[in-house]
Amino acid sequence: MAYSAAMSADGPAMPAGRFWVLRLMPDAPGRTALAVLLAFGASAASVALMAVSAWLLSRAAEHPPVLYLQVAAIGVRVFGISRGLFRYLERLVGHDVALRLQSALRIGTYQRLARTTLLGSRRGDLLARVTADVDAVLELIVRFVVPVVSASLVIVATSAVFAAFSPATALWLLGSALVAGVLVPGLAQWLSRRYDEAAAPARGELAAGVHELARTAPDLVAYGVADAALGRVLAVDERLKRQDDRSAWIRGVAAGCQVLAAAVAVLAALLIGGSQVADGTLPPVMLAVLVLTPLALHEVLSTLTQAAQSATRSLASLRRVREVLDAPPVGVGDRDLPPPVAPGALVLTGLAIGWPGAPTLIEGIDLTIAPGEAVAVVGPSGSGKTTLAATILGQIPPKAGTVEVVGRVGYLAQDAHIFATSVAENVRIGNRDADDADVRKALDRAGLPLPLDRVVGEHAGTLSGGEARRLALARLFVGDFQAVVLDEPSEHLDALTAEALLDDLFGSFTGVPLLVVTHDPDVIARCDRTVELAVGAVPYR
Amino acid sequence: MQHDGHVTTSDSAATRRRGPLDPRLLRRGRATLGYLIAGVAVGSATAVLTLVQASALARALGDIFATHTLTVLQQVFWLLVAVFAGKAVLAWLNQWLAHRAAAAVKSRLRRDVLAARLADPVDPGSSTASLVTLLTQGLDALDGYYSKYLPQLVLAVTVPLIIGIAILTADFASAIVVALTLPLIPIFMALVGWTTEARTRKRWLVQTRLAGHFADLVAGLPTLQVFGRARAQAEGLRRSEDAHRGETMGTLRISFLSALALELLSTLSVAIVAVGIGFRVVFDQVDLTTAFFVLILAPEVYLPVRQVGVHYHDAADGMAAAESAFAIIESAPTTPPRTASAPVPNAPRLSVDALSHTYPGAQAPALAPVGFDLHPGELLVVTGPSGCGKTTLLNALMGFIAPTAGRVLVDGAALDAASRRERIAWVGQTPGMISGTIADNVRLGDPDADDAAVRQALRQAGGGSLDPARGVGDDGEGLSAGERRRVAVARALLWVASGRADLLVLDEPTAGLDEGTETALLDALDGVTTVAVSHRPAVIARADRVLTLPAG
Repeated sequence: MAYSAAMSADGPAMPAGRFWVLRLMPDAPGRTALAVLLAFGASAASVALMAVSAWLLSRAAEHPPVLYLQVAAIGVRVFGISRGLFRYLERLVGHDVALRLQSALRIGTYQRLARTTLLGSRRGDLLARVTADVDAVLELIVRFVVPVVSASLVIVATSAVFAAFSPATALWLLGSALVAGVLVPGLAQWLSRRYDEAAAPARGELAAGVHELARTAPDLVAYGVADAALGRVLAVDERLKRQDDRSAWIRGVAAGCQVLAAAVAVLAALLIGGSQVADGTLPPVMLAVLVLTPLALHEVLSTLTQAAQSATRSLASLRRVREVLDAPPVGVGDRDLPPPVAPGALVLTGLAIGWPGAPTLIEGIDLTIAPGEAVAVVGPSGSGKTTLAATILGQIPPKAGTVEVVGRVGYLAQDAHIFATSVAENVRIGNRDADDADVRKALDRAGLPLPLDRVVGEHAGTLSGGEARRLALARLFVGDFQAVVLDEPSEHLDALTAEALLDDLFGSFTGVPLLVVTHDPDVIARCDRTVELAVGAVPYR
Repeated sequence: MQHDGHVTTSDSAATRRRGPLDPRLLRRGRATLGYLIAGVAVGSATAVLTLVQASALARALGDIFATHTLTVLQQVFWLLVAVFAGKAVLAWLNQWLAHRAAAAVKSRLRRDVLAARLADPVDPGSSTASLVTLLTQGLDALDGYYSKYLPQLVLAVTVPLIIGIAILTADFASAIVVALTLPLIPIFMALVGWTTEARTRKRWLVQTRLAGHFADLVAGLPTLQVFGRARAQAEGLRRSEDAHRGETMGTLRISFLSALALELLSTLSVAIVAVGIGFRVVFDQVDLTTAFFVLILAPEVYLPVRQVGVHYHDAADGMAAAESAFAIIESAPTTPPRTASAPVPNAPRLSVDALSHTYPGAQAPALAPVGFDLHPGELLVVTGPSGCGKTTLLNALMGFIAPTAGRVLVDGAALDAASRRERIAWVGQTPGMISGTIADNVRLGDPDADDAAVRQALRQAGGGSLDPARGVGDDGEGLSAGERRRVAVARALLWVASGRADLLVLDEPTAGLDEGTETALLDALDGVTTVAVSHRPAVIARADRVLTLPAG
């Protein structure tokens, strides 16, 4: 697998320019060119099949010795077979290069995102979108680049061959092919772009509406407003349908125009070629070739409207990916953990915090937490509690002041991700060198006696909220941390589960400084001290 | 180029079992039957115009070839113009009808799936994310089924018949070639599909699993970063990407084979027809006009059958989506009709009699039989360990689930679920928030309540410091879990205050409140008939009755 040198190691440098996607891999242009050539071969074979067949019939009518027809007969059979073979190979090569580019873009995107601090940055939707948008590479290569470039080559090649026999016919053929293959799809794309672009937010609205309806279904039903909510979602659906209607109308008109363009090519060839036969400037055997070949050529062009419309969507997706790739990294992203040492105090001195590039949220934080001490940090939503955590973890720099920690700081997020893999692999996120015994011990300490090889995460979906929190806790136990930050440890858990978890948490981190971000009175009551963050906060949004 | 649908969507085993024509899809399609019939009519009319076009072109070519004059064009030129114009209009109609056919079914399925989700509000069945995917991109795959595959299936019969008869009347030998080769196409496709199905399906499973790896890693990036493991995972991602590509290409190599068989058979058949008729022209067994007529028509016979193969994968994607949609629609309980017996004077406000529930497929009941009477103004507190059925009890009271046994009476009357809900204000364990403002959420059941009432309800719920104008994002973003609960309790209190409800059903209403606020909230509940799940001592102390459920 060949990735460009720039893709390796630490920072991928994304290629610039209009065709940046093709430069993700050094051999991508070559492989794409091969796919285009094979596609050209397939389309050219079907055009040639018609042309040679037409010649064969015309020549046969002149009653030559059968031997003279054999070459053409073989040609017809060869073109008949090669079209299918070329098409098969083109599909494989095209998909292969597209999938390679998709991989390269995924890895590049991953490496870029790994370097920007994502903790609490409310970018969950963005991450999900990037995942889907990256897939547009496949569509772009397979449905746009290969068919469009190969069709252009077929147009040029066919016109060039025609020019040798009848330049006037060749001109009409070229003109009609340009109309059907370039002008009409281009116009259709341009006209429907307005609807395609309006459809994107409407689709987003539909998705948001469905999401909200599913999430709030019991509340909507309980308060008797389910029908009204359903009506609102269906209104969006109706709007989307109307936009799709217009788009389909344009596609239909484009298809009709393509048929008319084919008609122009055929009729022009009949008139011009016919007069040339009449005045003896064209061998009669060529007439059927000139008249019937355009039918096969225009057949090839009929898929181009859809190709152009799909390009609108995939290019928009890739633009969004590019925005993510080009955004300057925030903070350090991935942490570099120092080696473990004996625990010491966590000291914040004159600390001012805020997201890089955003205004300062809170300043003048002075706080010392001794080993074995638990301090609750409280404050309204949006007052910067997660920003404080990211600053202490060293993922973003302080706006002013200092953070002094001894050794490694561990962090228990309220929404720690559970990966779709075994329980053991999930725990090893905390310490990749841990053996099975270490993992077992950590799980037992976290009160989660699960089998190590049980598969959990998105597709398994087998953990309750409390179990997921305990699995994340086991990561902290398996690693060696000299200070710990807990983020809303009781949030979203039912009362009894929360109580049991808090017992275990506060019983475990006894010899290290413990900073607890919370607003739950039960959690605050368990801490030694409470620090209130000033409400100098930026309101939500 | 339709085959790449493969790479992004999976088709379920169920789809394969049902074959390409799911009767339920056809039933749902009744709304679009008119469009489908019109689509087939347009396709057949196009075939007839193609016949006329072939005949006119063949005549023109044969005549000019023989006479070296253009006299024949006086007869056929304008005919050809008219035929092409007709085909252009039909091409436009075809696109439009195809779209309309799919759009009508898609809207219908969206409505039915959402209605099913609301009919079974507490059992998600599938995750919200997969529901969103199903109702957006998922159903879009039905475009391929209704707009291309289904009409093409009919056209694959009508068009070869129309054009085949035309060839038969013109040249018997060519018609034989067509009649012999055409049936080979579906036979070969079935053979290729049949021999590769098991392998394809196995690869599918591996491929689907690998495809999720990137999404999983990206979603987990914040967690990886915290442990300093994000960069190291890039190597694992690279390996999994290589494996994914390998599996996908393996699957494609097999599944493109059926397309290859199709192309080979159809183009080779055209070639055989062309060569065969060419040699018979040499020996004057066929005249040139007939030969051209057959040559132009030969590819048209195979085209609709080829299209069925091309659109088969589109259809498979659409059917997989439809399968999920039907699963949701069919699993939803039917809404019972409104029934109400007359209230009984002096009956308890709420009377629960031997109520129990066992979830389908479960061994033990989630809720062992319970019964209690609650008189106006009383507070019943339900306690018990995790999993003892507290939430199941509340869901049964709310009519979100139909309990397997027992009765719930309000004022002595057996009400259907919807009528009962009109009497009850409810706060769930994780209250749902609509996007908008806090006030929008408090007003959920009572949109006409004035600002003062909203503020009053918030104050009573212990959320006096919450600004009613504060924004709430998707999924309650911007509110903490505690704040969300305050808003939901305010929502319930406002509904009671509006005089619509005279019963409260609450799940942990005071969790996360300090003692002072908790007392204030309990004071606000005074005088309202309430069932509350709670383990807080202050709440239990206020209870008129405590129901302790045994461990499940």
